[in-house]
Amino acid sequence: MDRFAKLAHDMSLLWAKYWPSYLGGIKNTLILALVATFIGCIIGLICGILNTIPYSEHDPLPKRFLLKLIRVIVRIYVEVFRGTPMVLQAVFIYYGLPYFFSVNWQSVWAAAILVVSINTGAYMAESVRGGIISIDPGQTEGAKAIGMNHFQTMTSVILPQALRNIMPQIGNNFIINVKDTSVMFIISFTEFFAFHRYITGVNNMYFPSAAIEMVGYLCMTLIASFILRRVEKRMDGSDSYELVQADPLTMTAGTYQHPGSPEAPAGVSDEERERIRQSLKNRNGSTRGDR
Amino acid sequence: MGETILEVRHLGKSFGSHEVLRDIDFTVDKGDVTCVIGASGSGKSTLLRCINLLETPTGGEILFHGQDVTGRQVKAEAYRAKVGMVFQSFNLFNNMTVLDNCIVGQTKVLKKGKETSRANALQYLEKVGMAPYINAKPRQLSGGQKQRVAIARALAMEPELLLFDEPTSALDPEMVGEVLAVMRNLADSGMTMIVVTHEMAFARDVSNHVVFMSDGVIEEEGAPADLFERPQKERTKEFLARFRNQ
Repeated sequence: MDRFAKLAHDMSLLWAKYWPSYLGGIKNTLILALVATFIGCIIGLICGILNTIPYSEHDPLPKRFLLKLIRVIVRIYVEVFRGTPMVLQAVFIYYGLPYFFSVNWQSVWAAAILVVSINTGAYMAESVRGGIISIDPGQTEGAKAIGMNHFQTMTSVILPQALRNIMPQIGNNFIINVKDTSVMFIISFTEFFAFHRYITGVNNMYFPSAAIEMVGYLCMTLIASFILRRVEKRMDGSDSYELVQADPLTMTAGTYQHPGSPEAPAGVSDEERERIRQSLKNRNGSTRGDR
Repeated sequence: MGETILEVRHLGKSFGSHEVLRDIDFTVDKGDVTCVIGASGSGKSTLLRCINLLETPTGGEILFHGQDVTGRQVKAEAYRAKVGMVFQSFNLFNNMTVLDNCIVGQTKVLKKGKETSRANALQYLEKVGMAPYINAKPRQLSGGQKQRVAIARALAMEPELLLFDEPTSALDPEMVGEVLAVMRNLADSGMTMIVVTHEMAFARDVSNHVVFMSDGVIEEEGAPADLFERPQKERTKEFLARFRNQ
């Protein structure tokens, strides 16, 4: 038990001394994960749409060739960036590009966002494609039948539904990004985990700092999960709906108020209520039904 | 008889080596209500889907106001905006409310203003008796209600021709009546319609032309009184006898 007390003590010591660094790391991690997931989703959406443009044997040859070419390019992109570790992708882009071309990375932020974005995009491309083909073909037919073209069908009908279906995937990718951006230390990007390395470099409290990191990452991902659930609920909309009466004077069934009930409609005075009650009484002097 | 709206000439459709439609010929004039009847698998639905270009015909031509729409010179989207379609499975847009379902085509395809589209949509929803439900999502409606909204959605585009693909086949017997009543009203108001249906009473009472299909060809066609009372072909007699016995 005293080992836990010791650990708690060491953690609080570390936190007291380095909390601005830890918090700064969390901030950088969250910004990178958010921005990169967002851009990655857009890349994935574009790839998913390009991949699902329909073509038939009757289309002219150049159109068919172009669409096939696009599919091959997207396929290669997905396979390469999904099939290699992000650490190496970071190295290739941050150190490899300047090696071959006259690229000069002004900011490590730009490089980090680029790496994580295209990595996320590769995963999202497949999720979006899955989301699109999971939508009932009848939705596309319904849209076509009223004269929509492919782009209108996609933006108004298919993508809103596909996006809702891949929301869990987007959440997954965000949470993975929160954790996996820790490999960006390789290009000396200062996110949460990088600060752990700096801090433990100047003292010997490696494990207590790792414990702080653990708690920090878990908090970030738990909050992210919670927010994502709320967003999904919101996207589903309300389970109920209001009937709209064309004639405002007729009430919808079930909304009548009995004059004797305690909460009479506003604007009816007590005398008025009494008068209505009297007029409703039958010959037995009861407001109940005639039996 | 009014002007000819649609003329189908020698229409053929095959999926690979399987021939679904063969040499289909018929004409639809303005105000006509044409019912297409026949056993399942006889090609009725494929015919309707070919007319709306949801399937590409493999032979023959479809003339809309005298212009062939199967070729490249006519944009399928522009043609479909003038030819409405009501599906067996409703195909309402699940991500939109009832009202938006009826508005989106007008604003996106016909490029009408928001207010005009809304007023127009409300008018047609009123016509099918679904005006109180404008805020509901399709998943909150019964089958019959969905189909009535689907009809309003097609009507809101103000089409010249309306195609119905077995509009009541996916409905409970109780709900069939409400949808047929709406369709009967439409027919009375002069709407030009082609209806693929198994509702023989509807075909007999409402249509002015009945087409009986069998194995991908038009076996027999004519006025409902003739076809139902005095069928000429053996297949037609057989098919109608089965329905009478029910």
